[in-house]
Amino acid sequence: MQRKKATAVFAAGAAILSLTLAACGGGSGSANTSTSGSASGASSSATGGYPAAAKEITFWGWAPGYDKAVEAFNSSQSAIKVKYEEISPGAKGGYEKMLNSVKANQGTCLAQVGYETLTSFAAQGALEDVSSYAKSSESEFAPGAWNSVKIGEAVYGAPVDQGPMALFYNKKVFEKYGIAVPTTWAEYQAAGKTLKEKSSGKVSLTSSYLNYDFAGFTWQASAPWFGVEGDSWKVSISSDATNKVSAYWDGLVKDGVISKAPMWDQSWYTGLSDGTIATHVGAVWIAGILKGDAKGGSGDWAVAPMPQWNAGDTAVGNVGGSASAVLKGCSDPEAAWTFAHWMSTDKDAFAGLVDSAALYPAATALLDLPALAKEDPYFGGQKIFDVFKDASGKVVTGWTWGPNMPETVKTLDDQLGKTWSGTQTFEEATKATQEKTVSDLKAQGLSVAE
Amino acid sequence: MTTPTLRTSGGARRRATRSAWLFLLPFALLFLLMYLVPLGFAVVQSLFKLQRSGLGLSAPTLTFDPAFNYGRLFGDADFIASLGRVVVFGVVQVPIMLGLALFLALLIDSRSAKLKGFYRLAAFLPYAVPGVISAVMWSFLYSPVTSPLNNALQDAFGFTLPFFSESWVLWSVANIVTWGWTGYNMLIIYSSLQTVPTEVIEADRLDGASSWRIAWSIKIPMVRPALILTTILSIIGSAQLYNEPAVLQPLSGGTITKTFTPLMSAQAQAAAQNYPYAAAQAVVIAVLVGVLSITFFKITNRGDK
Repeated sequence: MQRKKATAVFAAGAAILSLTLAACGGGSGSANTSTSGSASGASSSATGGYPAAAKEITFWGWAPGYDKAVEAFNSSQSAIKVKYEEISPGAKGGYEKMLNSVKANQGTCLAQVGYETLTSFAAQGALEDVSSYAKSSESEFAPGAWNSVKIGEAVYGAPVDQGPMALFYNKKVFEKYGIAVPTTWAEYQAAGKTLKEKSSGKVSLTSSYLNYDFAGFTWQASAPWFGVEGDSWKVSISSDATNKVSAYWDGLVKDGVISKAPMWDQSWYTGLSDGTIATHVGAVWIAGILKGDAKGGSGDWAVAPMPQWNAGDTAVGNVGGSASAVLKGCSDPEAAWTFAHWMSTDKDAFAGLVDSAALYPAATALLDLPALAKEDPYFGGQKIFDVFKDASGKVVTGWTWGPNMPETVKTLDDQLGKTWSGTQTFEEATKATQEKTVSDLKAQGLSVAE
Repeated sequence: MTTPTLRTSGGARRRATRSAWLFLLPFALLFLLMYLVPLGFAVVQSLFKLQRSGLGLSAPTLTFDPAFNYGRLFGDADFIASLGRVVVFGVVQVPIMLGLALFLALLIDSRSAKLKGFYRLAAFLPYAVPGVISAVMWSFLYSPVTSPLNNALQDAFGFTLPFFSESWVLWSVANIVTWGWTGYNMLIIYSSLQTVPTEVIEADRLDGASSWRIAWSIKIPMVRPALILTTILSIIGSAQLYNEPAVLQPLSGGTITKTFTPLMSAQAQAAAQNYPYAAAQAVVIAVLVGVLSITFFKITNRGDK
């Protein structure tokens, strides 16, 4: 009897030991990082030695250059002290960290939240309504961007940037093979085939696109994934308009012009650097990614307007763009708004963000910043922001994000992964995502109109 | 049960008990706070239903509905598939890894082995590399674009290995786990081999037993406890498979989904902010691992008698 009990205790002990070890060593779990982050935050604020009168707020983000903007703000005044902490990008665990922090009531005030995720944050009750301070600033921002930070009458933060799309292409490679810059999707596909033939398979037209990068294509095609009908969500990830986009990309996969290097992987940066991935259709901030992580391509790249479905059209999609959102539980939402508004509208601060992250301002007064009119040596001296200035006015309206985007895009990415590797079609992928999303939303009690 | 007898005993004994408790206190406290409390919290949370309504643009509410999450879980084809996947993984990978570990331990322990220290360290070294780092390293070797392995194969023989195909991907993961953990298990078995009395081995040798015979009939039976321990740890490890598939996921072309393993599935639910459902999945994993470990231990113990 005693023996048997000891046996069970031993087994349980072994189970417990390894469970706890696994929990500590996990590393990729967001809970770990969030607690350690807050611990270091607490200790540094305790020893910071700032004047007691200053209101202190914490700001979480990942865009390169935010740290410098915070420094500039702190040295420009003494009433508010902003403490910036760089965290993982939202989709790579940053959003979970923020939501966990709100849940744990840690009092983090401001966070970089992409427009696509803002609705999901609001649906978790994770945001603070700052409309009482913010309302008067509405006219300072582009209408599309302002709409992205408000739901109903509530305003949840300051829009920072927008993500109008364009065609990034390796000019040197295009010239080498004598290919004209494509203006339509049909020409784009033809360019891919020519590249493949003339380089005997070495140069790929582009790489695979997941989640929001893929959504940009359906955005351009006026195929919004979500909508609101009365008191219900309308889910339209799979639709006739999406199917047009799907069929097109199926064709490209079949042509074999898509690189096997997944976007954001080291092999992707390498491909962009050495010219084996010839184009990327993406938002303005891709310029910052190219300059930062594909340094070998310096001088080779150029920017052209996004390819169109019909010659002469001018529709543009959007990827990303983010706000400095005020999180629930912030001790001083007014101070948080003050800083957020300052960072989005201050000329010098934003010039820094243009240089370091190629952010395109949401504040209309900043659109004639000198930094946006500079010739960029990385792009062979091209004034690339001219293209985006034109594009930002042509972004298709009517796009709505759903109430649980983190869940939706995880489902979507599982499906798209299979599609890019050629084992199913994009139509099947979007259909499966649609079905799963509807059932997930219903399982949580949300009302969905079909 | 034991306290009444202690209360009646002398002061010296009481003091000894008190110091024993004092020594236990740091562990007991950590065990309570870091293990039992979160465990209890997870169990409690799993009994609630996350409820939203309409457009759901305000914070969701929790309602007590003990059967809801567990009911959903057994109808969740993805979660059930993930359980099946780690069972297949465990049944195949654990025996291979432990067989390899035992073989290496016996080799290093054998009388004629040279450079014991070097081989012990070499076999153990992969374990010293943190799991995530080794997965990143292997992801370079598996990568559809950069894989030096596949590039070499392509150049020499004109074919490549489909590391991420539907039928290969689980074994690509198993390979990383085996690489990382064989040395660790070997070390446990090896230290157990050190406790085999040399007189016994010598006596066998005098009786004319070969090295193979000694290994099979003497050494292996004597390191049985170590083999049982490593098996249980490996069963638990298989059930908790997470790091390797999570790192490989972006490269996998969709064959490693967000619900590839039970822990990934629970993590995906937590990421979607459905903590009650994530908690229910975690509780089910913990119960299954507990039952499995105890069952294995009981079966192996019965054989002893």
